Amino acid sequence: MTGAEVLVPDVVSPTVVAIYGPAVIVGLLTALIALIGIAFKKGDLTALILTDIVGLGMLIIVAAVSTDLAEALILPGLVVELAEILVISEILMSREMRKTGKNVKLAPFPFSMNMEILETAPTFFAIILIAYGSFLTGFTGGAVAGVGILFYVISKTARGVPLHTWKGVGAISGMGWTLWLVGFVVLFVAPQLWLLGLSMSSFGILIKVASKVGLVGIIGREEFKRKR
Amino acid sequence: MNITDLSGQIFGYIPLGDIVLYFTPFNLFLLSIVLLFTIFIALSNTETQVEARFGTLQDREVKVDKSEFKIRRFLAIVCGLATAGAMITGDLFNFMLFTALIGIINIGLVGAVKIVDVLDSAFQYGIIAMIATLPLFGGAAIILAATGTLSLLELSNRAASPMVSFGSILIMAGIAGETGMAPFYATKAEMFRTPGSPFLLIIHLSSLLVIVRAVEVLLIIN
Repeated sequence: MTGAEVLVPDVVSPTVVAIYGPAVIVGLLTALIALIGIAFKKGDLTALILTDIVGLGMLIIVAAVSTDLAEALILPGLVVELAEILVISEILMSREMRKTGKNVKLAPFPFSMNMEILETAPTFFAIILIAYGSFLTGFTGGAVAGVGILFYVISKTARGVPLHTWKGVGAISGMGWTLWLVGFVVLFVAPQLWLLGLSMSSFGILIKVASKVGLVGIIGREEFKRKR
Repeated sequence: MNITDLSGQIFGYIPLGDIVLYFTPFNLFLLSIVLLFTIFIALSNTETQVEARFGTLQDREVKVDKSEFKIRRFLAIVCGLATAGAMITGDLFNFMLFTALIGIINIGLVGAVKIVDVLDSAFQYGIIAMIATLPLFGGAAIILAATGTLSLLELSNRAASPMVSFGSILIMAGIAGETGMAPFYATKAEMFRTPGSPFLLIIHLSSLLVIVRAVEVLLIIN
């Protein structure tokens, strides 16, 4: 596939152009290796884990295009892959529950952590991560800030968060999400107000993701404490 | 091939930034079928399957309980709306995303049944759908690399090059895996054997309409 006809702007160096064909072949080879792995080791759970490598092959082919648009296309491909893995693993657990007759929680928390960092550093790390995430904004900023909240919540063992606090956090998350959507609508409908749309969507998604991840941590910690 | 030759005159566009929805008589026909069926689903109750028994004259009714019925109806409506989106979109990658979304929702529709065979075939269909995302999205990316655009309205004006043909073949393989064409239809047919129609008919209808539209898209590109 050297000499593949691709549309190339003049500013791209020939080295990068020459890599495109081999990159697509590498993506297809990765998928082939994964499929051979599925053929060798039969078994449902193994098949599920190895098909994720096929998804990786897909990402390689999409990323080989190496433009801004391709970078924007990677995220939906990744999200679709993640959603499919989640759905199929739930089907697998459902089937095993029907077959064996036992019932397990669909999201167990395998927790028993005895790490020194959980006692000495939670406040400092949480503040640093939340500040950095708020500065980043956007989806990545929300994830970083959410990890900060999550870390703080998991490490501190104080209990007794009242219920309306959880509901309030959930409501803030929903409102952040709406702000994100409205920001995008502003970008579509009135492109001359692009700074307003950009700010609304980036801060909205930051608030949404940060409080969502933190909420998961709070609910998980409460569930974990209930077992003791 | 020209869109006007293939599907009829273009009535109008809804440009959402990069992604342009366009309406032709063909698209509108498919869209109206899907929306009509979605409205039927939204208004209908679930069926009760009646199984005859050996040895007695009594029948056994197999019902779906209320909470499962509501979840299934919601998922079937979302599947119908995703198919509707796939029918009118003018962006190639958007079409692939809707197809993958339909595949995921189809698995979710049968996820709560209590029949092990259905869950088995849903699992196997899911594995095939995951493997099929490689040619699906990879083919769209190769067409992007070869022509520099993903917009169907733009691609219809260009001549086909060998890379575009290769991308189209990959897309065909991906659609075959994702929608359950031969030889993957066996698992998708087995997914159907559970109480809860007419919602489950959306599984077949969405695949059918996606295949028809995929043929149109591939003819537009080449």
